[in-house]
Amino acid sequence: MPLSPQDAAAALHDIEQAEQRSVRLHGYRQGSPHLILWGVLWAVGYGLTDLWPAHAPTIWAIVVPTGIVGGFIILRAARSGAKRVDVWRYCAVATTLGAFFSATFYVMGPVSGRQVSAFIPLFVATVYALASVWLGWRYAIAGVALAILTLAGFALLGRHFPLWMAGVGGGALVLAGLWLRRI
Amino acid sequence: MPSDVIHQQTRLRIMATLNALPDGELLEFTRLKDIIKATDGNLGAHLATLENAGLISVTKDFASKKPRTRVAMTRAGRKAFAEHVSYLRDILEGKG
Repeated sequence: MPLSPQDAAAALHDIEQAEQRSVRLHGYRQGSPHLILWGVLWAVGYGLTDLWPAHAPTIWAIVVPTGIVGGFIILRAARSGAKRVDVWRYCAVATTLGAFFSATFYVMGPVSGRQVSAFIPLFVATVYALASVWLGWRYAIAGVALAILTLAGFALLGRHFPLWMAGVGGGALVLAGLWLRRI
Repeated sequence: MPSDVIHQQTRLRIMATLNALPDGELLEFTRLKDIIKATDGNLGAHLATLENAGLISVTKDFASKKPRTRVAMTRAGRKAFAEHVSYLRDILEGKG
């Protein structure tokens, strides 16, 4: 039996709703393990930085590549059965971010370790807030929480700002990841 | 003509949900159930209908020693869904 325009409109509305929900939940599911991974790495990296500030460059030279490799493994595992992960795209994103941070610190320099420790989380918070436009409002909550906690620690704490970022910044990312996972 | 297999409301939602995922992406039965808000039996029956029509593929395996069922849209499923959506739009535009 042919459909009426009302039936067609109702069906298209149903389709749009289901697709939006699917994209949103897929985005949460995909992002969750990355948030948990980086939350743990931040906790380790900032914690060690607080203990041995002089060795911060070495600590982060190990932590950041570990996160990049870990993120790639998560991406590949999540896409098993689907098209292979585009290695070059992943490397391009990592390289672009590395170049951006290097260029920014060069232009704005000299910057202290404390400033670097605050700037990168603020950048990440901005990315989450922007991602929320496409992937769902929960990313905005994660981004805003991370930004507020980072700014609060930067403004109120001195020497032990990295310890704050280890506990609160890393913890916020892990909690946000677990929150997205439950949906 | 509309696809009778796709047009049923629950199956339409299943197809729309799977169509929104990247090509070849597998979606777990339990997550699909949450998205569609259907019961196990109801969802299973509709998935069987779609699978028999060649519109989706159902993969059963084990993850952490627990049985796992995942579904994905086939290439034929994407084509049929696109044609169905196009048919619905034509009706709205007075072409159908």
